[in-house]
Amino acid sequence: MLARNLIGASALAIAAALAGSAHAEGKALKVGYVTGLTGACAPISEDGLNGAKLAVKDLNAAGGILGRPVELVVRDSQTKPEEGGKQARELAAAEGIEMLTGVCSSAVLLAVNAVAAEFKIPHVAMIGSTQKANIEAFNPYFVQTQANATMEAFAAAEYVAKKTDWKRITPMGFDYEWGHTSVDAFTSRLKELRPDIEIAAPVFTKVGEANMGPYITAALANQPDAIFAAVFGGGLVSLIKQGQSFGMFQKSNLVTLLTVDTLQSMGDAMPKEKVYGIGRAPFFALDQGAELSAFIEDYRAAYNEYPTDWAINGYDAMMFYAQAAKAAGSAEADPVMAAFAGSSFDGLKAKGLTMRPFDGQMNAPAYVGEVNFDPAYPFPTMKNVEKFDGAALMFSEETIQAMRDAAK
Amino acid sequence: MIWVQLVNGLMEGMMLFLIASGLTLIFGVSRIVNFAHGSLYMLGAFLTYALVPVIAPGTVAGFFAAVILAGIGVAAIGTAFEVLALRRVYGADSLMQLIITIALVFVIRDVVRWIWGANSLSVPMPDALMGALVIGDTYFPVFPFVIFAAGLAVVAAMIGVIRFTRTGILLRAATDDRGMAALLGINERMIFTAVFAAGSFLAGIAGGMAAPWGDVNYLLDTTVIVSAFIVCVIGGLGNLYGALAGAMLVGITKAVGVLYFPRLSMVLIFLIMAVVLVARSLGRQGGPAR
Repeated sequence: MLARNLIGASALAIAAALAGSAHAEGKALKVGYVTGLTGACAPISEDGLNGAKLAVKDLNAAGGILGRPVELVVRDSQTKPEEGGKQARELAAAEGIEMLTGVCSSAVLLAVNAVAAEFKIPHVAMIGSTQKANIEAFNPYFVQTQANATMEAFAAAEYVAKKTDWKRITPMGFDYEWGHTSVDAFTSRLKELRPDIEIAAPVFTKVGEANMGPYITAALANQPDAIFAAVFGGGLVSLIKQGQSFGMFQKSNLVTLLTVDTLQSMGDAMPKEKVYGIGRAPFFALDQGAELSAFIEDYRAAYNEYPTDWAINGYDAMMFYAQAAKAAGSAEADPVMAAFAGSSFDGLKAKGLTMRPFDGQMNAPAYVGEVNFDPAYPFPTMKNVEKFDGAALMFSEETIQAMRDAAK
Repeated sequence: MIWVQLVNGLMEGMMLFLIASGLTLIFGVSRIVNFAHGSLYMLGAFLTYALVPVIAPGTVAGFFAAVILAGIGVAAIGTAFEVLALRRVYGADSLMQLIITIALVFVIRDVVRWIWGANSLSVPMPDALMGALVIGDTYFPVFPFVIFAAGLAVVAAMIGVIRFTRTGILLRAATDDRGMAALLGINERMIFTAVFAAGSFLAGIAGGMAAPWGDVNYLLDTTVIVSAFIVCVIGGLGNLYGALAGAMLVGITKAVGVLYFPRLSMVLIFLIMAVVLVARSLGRQGGPAR
């Protein structure tokens, strides 16, 4: 009898301890986090997850969402669409998740988005971006919290158009969907803005190409004033390092995606000038406020490095969701989606962000600046960073409708 | 322009050869297709990344010392793998061998990720090798030249050893007829181990030499292994000179191709391989492939 009481008592104690550790009443709100922890996306995915984890910590410290503790259920998509889709399906069917996020690769994004539509679960995109998700593959449960690939390329075109002494441009890109979409969008917008600019035939390389030499020579063969390169990660590091040996920064300029992780990878190997970068959320160029400083401090304390664009996007995506769910007073999909559309969000990357329900696109800004060496940081940053308002980069609803009709 | 592309092509070809030569030597002697060869290359790059800052950073001598030490480190790891695991499956069917080398791919990948993380890392180029030789309006990058020359030195040493030393004679004997070599009292095990160690060393220094040119990341293993296999197929697996010719062919085709057929340069390489395969892989030396 005594033994049984003891067991009962300790079971109660354990249950109490468990409930106490979550320190919020109610059932946990599970967030399905499908991301490429292995495969090509791994470096980026890890940063995004670190940001999201900090958001969950902050949310739970403040009592969770609607009094419910938030719990991330993390799954590895291996950066493969089939695997990502399978993981998302399993989370939706068996784990009772109420939100999906975290996806990195654009191909995986489309697979996960299809699952979100099927199970009617809000899908908040934070790393992966493809305009397909806004256009032909759109569904009413999709939210894109950053400038998509097209918007980013438009921002680059706007920036390049202002360089009046640039007359010839060669576009480069990775030979897959994102690379082609970016190159096409950049080329079309730049032609509109600057009919006098000569744009050479684009040079495409395989994703992650390590020996960029041959492609650099081919790109420089057109004697461009600037090269626009839709490449990232290791391929981009190779492009910049090898470019220096080919006189790329004597003969030309480079405009490319420079997120904080790439700036960190490059380190001292970054040329001192003639490199221009597009960022999604460069922490050093954002509107400095108490929240941003606190986040940077927390992030550095937790992970011993500066937050990359992906970490900030991960944090913002979770917080945007939390705000919508609180405003809706429920985690049910339809009220949350309505709340997304109706609310203005002050994130770390920008203030006054709203989501357009027509295509799920947030008016997230894109940042373009030139490389800088600031002694305050152990890696290159950017100066004269221009913030391009997301609303001006988004396709109009009519254009999207026309594109949707054309895709049918 | 075309001359610059030639330099590009020669360097890439040399890198490919250093990797493919180990692959082909190991296959020639032990009939093992070592899928982990790309992982050894990647490991060489990471060890160089770790060693360069320790040994006289920024100097050419320091860089090459780091590369050779990295090569030795990779050779040690390769030897351990051969002795502890591979040795047990020489007689087994090829599926078993496949599984065991692929297992090593995963092990190395996870260990590397655990130690160095998933982000791209950058090995600084020695100051003296940075920059370019400017002739007229054309920039000839210095680094690929030097890497090509260093690679040539390695090739010369390798061919010298194989042709003129007792070790080389034993190696050729074991490649030609393993059974006969064993009957004559040659220690087969020693040869297998030595070849695996040498192949690992070559992959390791290739990874180290290429490291400052691009970025260092844990996905280099698969990036490089596919091209290395293509080279081996073109040259005939087990054929060292074939691998040399194949590597240069692939490197130069890729570089020159991108200038004239930008959309086709990747396809060209596979086309060459397909043609060689269809022509029933006689190898480039004219003998039937083994």
